[in-house]
Parts: sequence; C-alpha cells; structure tokens
Amino acid sequence: MSVRELPELPSLVPLFAKAVLPSLDRGPARIPGDTVLVRGVGQDLGRLADYDRVCGFGLSEVVPPTWLHVLTFGLHIELLSGRDSTIRLAGVVHVSNRMRLHRPVVVTDRLDVSARATNLRPHKRGALLDIVGEVHVDGELVWDGVSTYLAPGAKVPGTDEQLAREEYVPTTPNAVWRLPADLGRQYRAVSGDPNPIHTSRLAARAFGFARPIIHGMWTHARLLAAVQPRLPDAYAVEVGFARPILLPGTVGAWWRPDAGGWVAAVTDRAGAKPYLTARITPSP
Amino acid sequence: MTRSAVIVGGNRTPFVKAGTSFAAASNSDLLTAALDGLAARFGLAGRRLDEVAGGAVLKHSRDFNLTREAVMGSALDPTTPAVDLQQACATGVETVVYIANKIALGQADVGVGAGVDSASDAPITITEPLRRALLRANRARSLPERLRALATIRPHHLAPVAPQVVEPRTGLSMGEHQAVTTAKWEITRQAQDELALASHRNLAAAWDSGFFGDLVTGYLGVNRDGLLRPDTSLEKLAVLKPAFGGPDGTMTAGNSTPLTDGAAAVLLAEEGWAEANGLPRLARLVDAQVAAVDHTSGDDLLLAPTDAAARLLERQGMALGDFELYELHEAFAATVLATLAKWEKSGLGTIDTDRMNVTGSSLAAGHPFAATGGRIVATLAKLLHARGSGARGLVSVCAAGGQGIVAILEAV
Repeated sequence: MSVRELPELPSLVPLFAKAVLPSLDRGPARIPGDTVLVRGVGQDLGRLADYDRVCGFGLSEVVPPTWLHVLTFGLHIELLSGRDSTIRLAGVVHVSNRMRLHRPVVVTDRLDVSARATNLRPHKRGALLDIVGEVHVDGELVWDGVSTYLAPGAKVPGTDEQLAREEYVPTTPNAVWRLPADLGRQYRAVSGDPNPIHTSRLAARAFGFARPIIHGMWTHARLLAAVQPRLPDAYAVEVGFARPILLPGTVGAWWRPDAGGWVAAVTDRAGAKPYLTARITPSP
Repeated sequence: MTRSAVIVGGNRTPFVKAGTSFAAASNSDLLTAALDGLAARFGLAGRRLDEVAGGAVLKHSRDFNLTREAVMGSALDPTTPAVDLQQACATGVETVVYIANKIALGQADVGVGAGVDSASDAPITITEPLRRALLRANRARSLPERLRALATIRPHHLAPVAPQVVEPRTGLSMGEHQAVTTAKWEITRQAQDELALASHRNLAAAWDSGFFGDLVTGYLGVNRDGLLRPDTSLEKLAVLKPAFGGPDGTMTAGNSTPLTDGAAAVLLAEEGWAEANGLPRLARLVDAQVAAVDHTSGDDLLLAPTDAAARLLERQGMALGDFELYELHEAFAATVLATLAKWEKSGLGTIDTDRMNVTGSSLAAGHPFAATGGRIVATLAKLLHARGSGARGLVSVCAAGGQGIVAILEAV
C-alpha cells in the first residue's frame, strides 16, 4: 500500500467544496488505496484552549483524544474528495467511532498524522467504510481511531453488513446540557469542520433536518469531557451515533462505571432515547 | 495524644507573566493542573482526601465553588470535599493553616492547601448603573415597568469594568500605598534593586541546581518560571523609571512584582498518618498568626506581618533570631526592607538577610496572588528538611486590606 505524504494538514474549506461535488462515476463504489500522511504537525495552544472550552474539557497540558481525531479529520476529507474515491465525505453519515489513546499526548508533542480508507462493505442503505487514523510521536503509536461512515446509495457487491448496536436501556440522565443555537458555529471554529448542516438552517433542510444539527464529534467530546478526570492514561472509547441532535436543544446525559470502565450516553431529556452511546475501556 | 500537621510536599505550576503562556488558562484550569501534579507526585490519583482548601483573589462569580470544581476536574477522588477561602495575598498560607488546624484538631488526616490566580483571565464586570438597571428590569412585573428600568441605561454605562487593584477605602493602589511606606522608612533605590537582584540570582541558582524538580510540574509547555531574569544586573535595574511614588520614586517595575498567572498546592497530613502511609514528612506547621493594621488612618498598608510576627513570637516564647531561614514575600522589594526596618525599630531585632529568601521569592518568581503562599510554604518546608530535624523557618506574607500572616515551620 502506498503512502502519500502531504506537506501540511489540508485546509478544510476548499477541500470540503470538492467533497460536496458528487462523483460522476456510477459504477461500483471505490475508495482510495493509499495512506495520506503529514509529518511533524504542531499543535496550536490557542486553538486547543478554544476546543477544550467548547467541548467542556479543562485546559491541560495533556490533550483529549477527541482533539487528536480533529487533527486527523482533514485527512478524512482529503481521502473522500479525490478522483480515486466515488464516495464524498459531504454525503456520508458518521455512524460509529472508536479510538484508542495509547499514552498521554501533550500539547508540545509534534505529531505524525495519517489516515487511510478501508473495509468498504455493503449495507442495506448503501455501503460502509472505515477511515483509520493514526498519530505517532517519534515513531511511537500514541493514538489510533476508526471512523465508520455510511455512504447512502453506494453500491458494493456482497452481503449486507448489519451494524451491531447494543440495545439501549432507558436510563435517567444525571446531567442536562443546554445546547445553544450557535453551538455548531462554535464547534466549526475549533474543529474546522465546515459542513453547513451544522450551521445553516437551509443546508440542514436540504438534508432533511428541520434545524441545524450539532456535530457528532462535539457530542462525543462533550460526553468524554464529563468522564475524563476519572480515566487512566490509556484507554479505548467506542461511540455509536444513534440520531442527530437539533440546535438549539436540551439533552440529557448519563455516565456510570461499568465492568472496570464506563458506559455513558447522551439522550433526550427523559433518558428514553439515545443520541449517542459510549463505552470506555481502560487499556491493560 | 497530640496531633501535628506536617507538610508532605508541594506542587505548583511554573509562574508566568500575565497575558503570556497561560493567557488561555482559567483559575480552574491552573488549579486543576497544580492538583493533578500533586496527585501524580504523591500517588493520590483516585484517593479521597479529607479536604482541599483553595482560593483565588481575582475570581469570577461563576467560580463560587472554584476549588470543589477543580477537585472534580482533577485525578483526586471526586468524593474529596473542598472549600474556597480568600484573604487576598495571604490566601495561600491561610488555606495551609486551615487544613493544618483541622488535622491538629482531629477533623482531618490528610488535605491540601492551595491557591491560584490568573491575572490574564480576570473577571470583567459591568458598570453599577447598568447592573442595577438590569436587576430592576428582571424584577419588573410588566412590560412598561421593564422598559422604564431599561430606559435608565445610558451609553456610558455600557463600558466594561476591569478589576482594579486599589484599596476601596483609600483609592490608592497597592504600589501607591507602598510608595508612602517606602518614603517613610527611607528605603533607598539601591537597597531595593539589590534585593531584586538577589531574588533573581537565588531563584536562578535554585532552578539550575534542580531544587524545583519535585516542587514544580510543567504546564502548557512551560517548565520554568517565566519572569526569572538570570542575567539581570544592578546596572540594568538602575536604568528603570520609577513606577510608583512620582518622578522621584524609588520603586520600579524591576523591584515590584508584575501581574502573574500560576497555581500552587501543598499536601499536609497528620504526622503519624503520613508515616503510616509512607509519605515524606518535611516540616511541621508549628503555629501561625494573622494581623491587620488600619491603613485608612495612616498605618503602613503592607506591614501588618510585623504585628503578626510580634504576637506569634510572644506566644511561642521565641525571638526573631531563633530561625534558620526566613521567607518574606516580596510584594515589592521595599515591603521586605520596610518590614526588616520595622522589626528592628520595634525591638524585635534583626535577621541575617543571607538566610532570607535563599531560593528567590516573588520579585523573581512572580506573584500570582493566592498561589504565592503555597509556593513559599512548600519551598521552605523542603529547605528546612534538608537542614535537619528541628530547623525552624518563619514565613511572612502581606495582603491587601492592611492584613498579613506569619507562620512557623519546623523540620521533622
């Protein structure tokens, strides 16, 4: 498998414009086979501080693992906007995510950030694929993440994969979060994700939502921030995005220790329906 | 059985000039960082302490539970209770005394005394007329009543109000008050600059020798105190213009402390408990005393520690010369020099200034108001412990409002 090295993390807005244009290729779905890599990525303290504030983390020298996801996100768009991909990032739905933090990463670490697309497989609504991101510091793997996207309508031969979903047991939330109307704008500023369905009512309507929806990775980060002080140096976190959260909105959240780790969810106010479910497992 | 509180150790962030490396950090962020470093150093992650006392001088109203929130954001067990205390720049010593007293009384076995201040993230408020109008509008029961309340707002009411470091009853800033004291006690520019130089040299030497290795944990990529000028000299200090006291003033930016960001925490435990739990026992907190002066009627604003020391020494049957080491907080170089002058004049005696602030103090390290006490206590405890069992040290910290605190530590 080839590695394509970029001089720096791509700028997201022009790239996103490319990722919006539909692919004209009507044949079977294709994804790029190469890994994109950027070496020596520095972390901007001011942007980290803003990210932490928007997502509910305290500002620490040690960065949240979801921040490392944000740093890889430009490469997700890069992979799903080029000619060798029939799948466009603007059209996919982020259905689940898992990431592993192998050791604490500090804001002064220089990062080698890479991503590749893999595991394209059929689904009853289209096709699923994974973007696997990795972050290395001085050759050591410190973080990896797998983002699973659904590309509606994409055609891939084979048997449909069922997404494994844990059954959600209604649980009374132990927190209530009020999400302001401009939260999508706030998260866009710190994540660089320019998708207008998070900020524009018009764009949201075009995708079938009555109002803008908050980024799933904000919801993920906000929930992780609630538990983070209790977490060890190395852990894995898996989340499933069950349904979108409309802005502005009020949601419930709960988290509790479970089997040596944590289970958690962001739900409606009653805790009856999940928006996002999460499991955090300490690494051995 | 008598119980005594010992200082197990301390941890602080580096101190940096306000508006620089820690500009994005809040009091809560800084305090959490200090607590996390302390937890890492002494294996406290996931452990419940009996109490954490902390405080800040410049505090947002939303931070009414600053210390408790920092505890919950830290690696400490979230069932660790916490309290906010504030006594201006004496806060960091008061929180240590509070925990030590609880330990001595049997109300706690282990706790933390801490303090933090971010001058970068200081609260900006609204003008009083605007605040009162908004409160009236909020209480209004009808729309016309609400509009009447809001109609009292004038454009100039909308300007933001930055916090001021002035004494409310005199309208003088701390520097202006000290300038009066400096002139009254005839403290020379030369003496002030020499004290500032010694502070920088001592702090630089302590950093170079690794002294702060187990007292400071880096934060946001900063691993050393940012205000330290190892290469400063009397010549460089001599060219600075007066900052207080008018054109003939002797106080400059070089011999005064700048606005600083930082946090410090001190771990205390009952002596036997510390031993049973395998924790270091650096020094006992023997006693402490606060005092206040009436600066509104002309007393020296920052010399209350001299009265506190007189009362403390009398109670303990000690003399000023009975200490191996002295830690006098350098709010201004002139504060320290006036304190020494007043001790001498009041008959308390003189001290060997070679035993004072031997690893530097606030002029070189900076002065994040409520964090200074924790820096001083942890530093002195370590220094005394190295000198051997029984070595005593005196802490003196002045504070706004004409207050001051002194404390005695004794090496275990």
